[in-house]
Amino acid sequence: MGVQGTAGRTLARCVSAVALSLALGAPRVASAQLFDSSDPDAVQIHGFVSQGFLKSTDNNYLANSKAGSFSFTEAGLNVSKSLTDNLRLGVQIYAYDLGPLGNYRPRFDWYNLDYRFRDWLGVRVGHTKIPFGLYNETSDIDASRVPVLLPQSVYPVDHRDYLLAVTGGELYGDVRLHVAGSLEYRAYGGTLQFDPPSSDVPGVTLSDISEPYIYGGRLMWTTPLPGLRIGGSYQALGIHWKYNLDPAVSQALQAVGLLPADFVSPLPVSFDVRLWVASAEYRHAGLRISAEYSQWIAKFRSDAPALLPPHVTNERYYVMASYQVTRWLTPCVYYAVYYPNVDERKGRQSHQNDAALSLRFDINAHWLVKLEGHWMDGTASLDPTLNGGTGLNALAKDWGVVLIKTTAYF
Amino acid sequence: MTPRPPRLSSALAPRRARGAAAWAWVAVVLLGAAWGAPRARAGSPRPAFEVIVNATNPQTSAPRAFLVDAFLKKVTRWADGELIRPVDLKSGADARRAFSAQVLDRPVTAVRSYWQERIFSGRDVPPPELDTDAAVVQFVAKYPGAVGYVSSRVDLSDAKDGVKVLRVE
Repeated sequence: MGVQGTAGRTLARCVSAVALSLALGAPRVASAQLFDSSDPDAVQIHGFVSQGFLKSTDNNYLANSKAGSFSFTEAGLNVSKSLTDNLRLGVQIYAYDLGPLGNYRPRFDWYNLDYRFRDWLGVRVGHTKIPFGLYNETSDIDASRVPVLLPQSVYPVDHRDYLLAVTGGELYGDVRLHVAGSLEYRAYGGTLQFDPPSSDVPGVTLSDISEPYIYGGRLMWTTPLPGLRIGGSYQALGIHWKYNLDPAVSQALQAVGLLPADFVSPLPVSFDVRLWVASAEYRHAGLRISAEYSQWIAKFRSDAPALLPPHVTNERYYVMASYQVTRWLTPCVYYAVYYPNVDERKGRQSHQNDAALSLRFDINAHWLVKLEGHWMDGTASLDPTLNGGTGLNALAKDWGVVLIKTTAYF
Repeated sequence: MTPRPPRLSSALAPRRARGAAAWAWVAVVLLGAAWGAPRARAGSPRPAFEVIVNATNPQTSAPRAFLVDAFLKKVTRWADGELIRPVDLKSGADARRAFSAQVLDRPVTAVRSYWQERIFSGRDVPPPELDTDAAVVQFVAKYPGAVGYVSSRVDLSDAKDGVKVLRVE
């Protein structure tokens, strides 16, 4: 695991100690040590720690889940301070472990300087969460939602590194439209901090990986109908690199027609992705209904179109409903669909239908427990490397997952 | 790699067992709803709060929608340019629950979830949460732009408190 993993575990333990002391009924002592709750300009410290368990049938999902896995941990700690009435500074450290992902490596989840000129114009600079759809910014914050897993068709946890935050700047604001409601806008641009792609194919290496770019925005209209908001988000990102192929690999690919006959290594590749999502959410009292439809359009530009398909569009959507029955119980259901390639919808590997039922129990103001079941049809969201290298077309078509998760936060 | 035939059942969860499990989930939810709904209704008394502002605030009334935006920090200034400083009572207070349901139109837990989103995505921090009506009165009297709410049982007739009642339109 290394030094970084140890640091992540230490972060999780520290946050756990404070969060659990609050969750188990020591709010006076713990919060008084952190900040003065009656001073609106005091330093604010918040944190959370989660531990989950997942168990699946037939296929491994996100972790080695067929045997049951506790490799599902998250911890975050943030500090923020209002420097003036308009200026605020904040930073959050985050570490997680989910199967092969995260490995407790602590990282800056976000850090930014936020200046709000007017209600309709503010600017954040630094490392900021990406507003994409209704829930992307909060997709790693368990306490902010009912289900353990957000609909994975639109918010896949294994895409976290390049969907969650941008290093650069953001303009934002809320525009009052009088009788027409209000409009929230967000526009951002910058680069990504993520582990560069690598190749696990023998005889193939990557080089000259460019600094990725990303830009996008979100418009969210709060309509005059109380509780209804609708909106759309757009995001573009691009990255360039070169594949260095050993002569034997090149010759083999040329022999089957995947590389041109006159190919000479390396193979420059440009990869551009355009994502958009249309969103609608309705809230009334304890009821919350949301639906989103999204397409992600990936384009490879290279001299080997037979090897790297030049254009792939995938389709993602879901509908979700939750209702707070009592102060402590909130059930949620959703149905999510994912097609990795809209031109190929046949076969178990070409789709993923996910019907989920979730129960959230709020034990107190600092501690919650969730229980969730998924009924899955299709294998498109599975990772072959977690399933012994078995191809998606050979994995079980009908399978299920049960998750239990508890989170303490302050 | 030899493709495996699809396994439509397993020892852990054959299709029939999964169907039974699904119905069990539905039953749990419905039982919870049946048991909890009357309790939730019983816990929503009619106006149990008064909205208060600093005595120097020139406003005597405010639309409900403005208060929603003020307490969710979507608007940050009063009409005269003063910074709005909302303050909440602790989660368990009856006045907090009533204010949340009747003004914010959502349960306290939903408001807390809203702030969890804002806190941990780096967008904002929630208003201070104070334990008692007296602490809220003291806070509102201290900051010219403050707005809060207290139990309607609190006697606000004494002008020396430095606060006044804001009528909700």
